[in-house]
Amino acid sequence: MNFGFSEDQEQLRLQVRKFLDSECPMDRVRQIMASKEAHDRGLWTRIAALGWPALTVPDAHGGLGLRWEDLVVIAEEAGRTLFPTPLLAGAVATRAIALMASERQKARWLPSLASGDLIATLAVLEESDDLSAAGVELVAENNGEQIVLTGTKMFVPYAQAADLLLVAARESGGISLFAVPADAAGVTVTPLRLIDPTQRAAQVTLEAVAVDPSDRIGEPGSAWSDISAVLDAGTVALAAEMVGAADAALRLATEYAKVRKQFGHPIGRFQGVKHRLAEILVDIESSRSLVYFASWAVDHQPDARAAVSMAKAYASQALDRAGEEGIQIHGAIGFTWECDAQLYYKRGRYCRNLAGSPEYHHERLLAAQGL
Amino acid sequence: MDFSFSEREEAFRREVCEFLAANNPNRASDSDDDLEASMDRLPKLLAWNQALLEKGWVGFHWPKEVGGGGGGLIEQMILKQETGKARAPLLGLSYMGLAWVGPGIIKYGTEEQKRRFIPPILKAEEHWCTGYSEPGSGSDLASLRCSAVRDGDHYVISGQKTWTSLAMWSQWMILLVRTDPAAPKHRGISCLLVPMDAPGLEVRPIKAMNGETPFAEVFFNDVRVPVVNRLGAEGQGWEVTKHALANERSSIAEVTAMVNHLEDLKRLAKDRRRDGRPAIQDPLVRQRLARMQTMVEAMRLTGLRFLTKQLRGEEVGAETSVNKLIRAELEVEIGRLALDIEGRYGALVKGSPEAVDNGKWQRQALTWPSYVIGGGTPNIQKNVIAERLLGLPHDV
Repeated sequence: MNFGFSEDQEQLRLQVRKFLDSECPMDRVRQIMASKEAHDRGLWTRIAALGWPALTVPDAHGGLGLRWEDLVVIAEEAGRTLFPTPLLAGAVATRAIALMASERQKARWLPSLASGDLIATLAVLEESDDLSAAGVELVAENNGEQIVLTGTKMFVPYAQAADLLLVAARESGGISLFAVPADAAGVTVTPLRLIDPTQRAAQVTLEAVAVDPSDRIGEPGSAWSDISAVLDAGTVALAAEMVGAADAALRLATEYAKVRKQFGHPIGRFQGVKHRLAEILVDIESSRSLVYFASWAVDHQPDARAAVSMAKAYASQALDRAGEEGIQIHGAIGFTWECDAQLYYKRGRYCRNLAGSPEYHHERLLAAQGL
Repeated sequence: MDFSFSEREEAFRREVCEFLAANNPNRASDSDDDLEASMDRLPKLLAWNQALLEKGWVGFHWPKEVGGGGGGLIEQMILKQETGKARAPLLGLSYMGLAWVGPGIIKYGTEEQKRRFIPPILKAEEHWCTGYSEPGSGSDLASLRCSAVRDGDHYVISGQKTWTSLAMWSQWMILLVRTDPAAPKHRGISCLLVPMDAPGLEVRPIKAMNGETPFAEVFFNDVRVPVVNRLGAEGQGWEVTKHALANERSSIAEVTAMVNHLEDLKRLAKDRRRDGRPAIQDPLVRQRLARMQTMVEAMRLTGLRFLTKQLRGEEVGAETSVNKLIRAELEVEIGRLALDIEGRYGALVKGSPEAVDNGKWQRQALTWPSYVIGGGTPNIQKNVIAERLLGLPHDV
């Protein structure tokens, strides 16, 4: 029994923190969020050189062969600085390939995913916003030689930065997964404008996009349980990012409460302020415990649904609250564009219903126990 | 990270389970019994203590030199988990003796004090109460005024304590007194070990809102206690107390109690009907149950993070207030949710016709303050977090 990070993992955390503090501080984040670019390619090249996209790629395919708990270390640090990056979207797609693809397909994609030359993302959710298999209505039709995909995906993370889209489609009465080049004929990627300007997502329309049967990942019509497990791992990484963001929002508000004086004292001396900050810390530490455990569970437990749902539900509460209170403790300045508190608040509002609302995950938690 | 247990630890778990199968004196409902019912079962509980003692499982992590089990932290966790799961009584009857008086004596006591006081705690022959709070000193404990004046080789104690849990059933009290009124308030305090039958000591029970009398006022009218009964140095009382309260904040046993409550609440929600359908089908009941489970699991896992720190030889300090606050919220919500599930039946207490589960949820709804207020109120825990973990300034 050991519920802590190893020395290597702590080293990784330090490396990531040092890199992000110097290379992507908040003024850089603000530049990226204001830019029309899908992401900062210069930064991508540099984190690729550091091996971040390679982290969870199996070593047989040019990766570092590390586990999801290692990725969670990066995710938490990325959340702290609101680092705008397709890294986590790519890690989810990478996990889908590593879990579901044939050896041949792995050899085709994994090495360039590891090197950062290829950016992929997983496209599952559609306009219905239904997270279950029933939400996948995009159709795959076999015309004898090729498979033709038609339909629309919504909220595809970093689709505008991706070279390769992994598209869930309805086929043979079930769900299949297809690898579709983003520049294939018939693919239209329309960026969405998000409440959190540091994030990127797009609507992806497939208009009779023809792919080869060899581009199908996994068996026809039976990919859903694997897709679902991969989405769960993605949810844990997201929750880790949220915990990091919540912690940063708390630190920001705490530092302000130490220097802002009213009635002759720092406002952090008044219990009305300090108790709210303490409550946020309790939420953060609690969700941190759940997230770390879930990051272990997705690699070691046959069914990690309960652990994942608890982590996401609690992290939503923690960040949502840290973001909101962060603004309130700053007072009017917290409402200004120049104050970073608003960015954490926006991240909270954006993530709360992403990959399932707290209410959705509460229901799923009970359902997973047969209740 | 690694959540598996070694072969040796698993073997220990099997040993614990076998022991519990043979020795657990509880019926399924006993762990929720009130104080009165526990007293009726005293002979059975003493036999349980004896069986535990023979295994070295009372004072499991105490050093062997003082008669403890010399056990490791992981084994202790396994022991507490399995005991909780089996809904067996606590691991030893001398509750406060085991929880913090014993650890305090082991850390600060003289050899003579260890010889005198530790064995009766292990054997459940002597029970302890804790004389901390006073009428004017609750959350601001260090402002306490109960005084002890040196008179030769004795202290003469005068003053009053209150909210003293189990005072009526205890043979000894661990008492905080002011020995130096001139010193800064934290430094003028000493810790004394006081026999409850000392002349001049008077106990007046206080009735709580649940109708039970779990605590008392204790008056000291020139009570004489030998100087050798001082625990730690003169003026070291505050440090001794902080050590004791830190022991109180370790949370493994509390988590298993919460896990059991949660399991019972789920059963209650399946069994009871609310607005014409099983309560478990009510979306709001479901949300609250799931939220509660999430908090219990967070508490369990945060406890494991602390345990890992301890295993690595690191100090665990103010951060234990995190679980204390989670627990406080859970204690209140358990009673509230149960009564909501029961609807009108939520009004029926023990002894009433048609009372659900013999009124145990009503008791919870009327007893939570003893867990939530004792050992530092939630507001004090928040001060601890804000000041020690976030570095915010002290208030007042």
